[in-house]
Amino acid sequence: MNVLVWLAIILLVLMVWVGGKSGVRSFFSLFFNFGVVFFTMFFMLDPNTNPIVITFIASSVIGCISLFYINEVNSKTVLAFISTMITISILLFFIVFVSQKLMIQGFGEEGEEAIAGLSLYIGVDFVKIGASVIIMSTIGAIMDVAISIASTMHEVFKHTPTLSKRELFKSGVSIGRDILGTDTNTLFFAFFGGYLALLIWFKDLHYSIGDIINSKIFSSEMILILCAGLGIALVIPIASWMNAYYLVRTREKIEKM
Amino acid sequence: MNRITHALKNTAASKWVVYSILAVCFVSSILLVNNNHSFYDRTIAQVTKNEVVETTDVTDMHGNKDTLFIQKLETNVKNGKEKGKTILLNNEYSSSGAYDQQYDVGNELFVSIDSTMGNDLVGSITDVKRDKYVLIVAWIFVFVLLIVGHKQGLLAIVSFAINVMILSLALDIYVKYYDVSLLVVCGICILLFTAISLLLVSGRSEKTYAAIAATLIATVVSLSIVSFVIWITSGDGLRYEEMQFLTRPYHTIFMAGLFIGSLGAIMDVAITMSSSLFALYERDRTISVKALRKSGIDIGKDVMGTITSILFFAYISGSIPMLILYLKNASPVGFALSMNLSLELARALAGGIGIVLTIPIGLYITIFFIERKRARV
Repeated sequence: MNVLVWLAIILLVLMVWVGGKSGVRSFFSLFFNFGVVFFTMFFMLDPNTNPIVITFIASSVIGCISLFYINEVNSKTVLAFISTMITISILLFFIVFVSQKLMIQGFGEEGEEAIAGLSLYIGVDFVKIGASVIIMSTIGAIMDVAISIASTMHEVFKHTPTLSKRELFKSGVSIGRDILGTDTNTLFFAFFGGYLALLIWFKDLHYSIGDIINSKIFSSEMILILCAGLGIALVIPIASWMNAYYLVRTREKIEKM
Repeated sequence: MNRITHALKNTAASKWVVYSILAVCFVSSILLVNNNHSFYDRTIAQVTKNEVVETTDVTDMHGNKDTLFIQKLETNVKNGKEKGKTILLNNEYSSSGAYDQQYDVGNELFVSIDSTMGNDLVGSITDVKRDKYVLIVAWIFVFVLLIVGHKQGLLAIVSFAINVMILSLALDIYVKYYDVSLLVVCGICILLFTAISLLLVSGRSEKTYAAIAATLIATVVSLSIVSFVIWITSGDGLRYEEMQFLTRPYHTIFMAGLFIGSLGAIMDVAITMSSSLFALYERDRTISVKALRKSGIDIGKDVMGTITSILFFAYISGSIPMLILYLKNASPVGFALSMNLSLELARALAGGIGIVLTIPIGLYITIFFIERKRARV
């Protein structure tokens, strides 16, 4: 049997063994997410659609699956969802701007053999596709931070309901800081692992530092890593502020009544 | 020295010291990167004039429509012995820009000079000078992480920088000495990465040691499982074509990448498990092993789904551009997927296996550390 099928079966067995029912749910949400990425790609094939808009829609679908299906619809998940979408929108503008300046769209010199013989004039906008790739790569981590902040802040508010908006915001940011280190680490290593082959290639060809930094492929990978870190950092104040605002406002409403 | 840093920590002055060091680094690096043309051996030229001379609509054999442009560029040489001279360049690009690029006035390009024409030179474009933008984005990253994350942000940057240096050094050793096995080099790397990252994130304490032990054991166990599966199926279903630019054995490099790739996620789970279990123990010193085990599994269930999906998205999304290119070239979907996605899926699944395994491993190792501590007290 296929390696991938075996690995998937082992993963499912382990998830069920450790997590029981919620393990099954985690496993299937992985495949839902995979399906969403897959469909997103199919929509991007049409040159008349805007990849940025498609990414935005895909992100909301992914958000719905990971937040509303895994957890449930409540004020925590709704707030996490909104703060994720806001972060993604800011990041999208930034990435499109940067990738136009850097000219990092499409394929680098390492893919020369892979794309030889293929027609490259296919009419889709690779700048925007590149931006959506970065967003899709980091959306998992951004959502993770958003939901952790939302649920912990709700918990803090439940225990000490008299906190001011400022104090709530501060507690949210400090929760975010604790996750910042580990989540950026997760992504950094994931990307390192993926680029190991590329780094060895650079070393084999005796590229100088100047050659490496200016090459399309290295700078695009670098931008991916940096934007992933930026996304994780940006969602912290956004989610903290949204939660603080919402919690204080519901308290005021209750007091008025 | 220690006393000085300690004294600095307590004063507001230390903040300003840090800020001003940062500001000096920022300004000097920006100045340097904007004026570093003379450090490059390759000729750099800046576009001073551009004109699109020809526009053609094309349709390829699969019915994809695109527009091709030819632009004539006049550029000014910024370095080398031809400095100040003008180079004339032709550039052909498409509106999709998969492997080509439109240039505007102000862009800096690496060029090769082919011949002379009167006073001017004629050349061709080899690459774009991207260093200053990479640097600016890196600084934005540093500033945002510091503003939002304060100390934790700084630690994230420091651990990133140290890990990059270790990896680069390790690969130098691997590339230089052919008889050094990549797996040995990566094993040592994994040891260092784990120790450094976790010590930076949570300091020198029992919970860090528990997390380090759990990470290493989980990595070894999942490495054995994945190697065994690949060995027993003789790698059926893995297509290494996307690594064909390498002149080295793909298989080992893929395996090494797989384990470095899942390491971050495994560390994440291990430190989450050990720090929350230690927190429970600190709150109630008499807590029973059974209660610890139950809360450990609950915490594990919570993080399992999110961390595996972080890894899934990080790996799968990267292959979108190549998949689009294949599908637009009328490749069958199954073929395009297996060519471009098999390695990414294997990485994601192997990472997932590592993550899930870390939950029980981290749980029992942390309980072992807690029991040891309890016996000592």
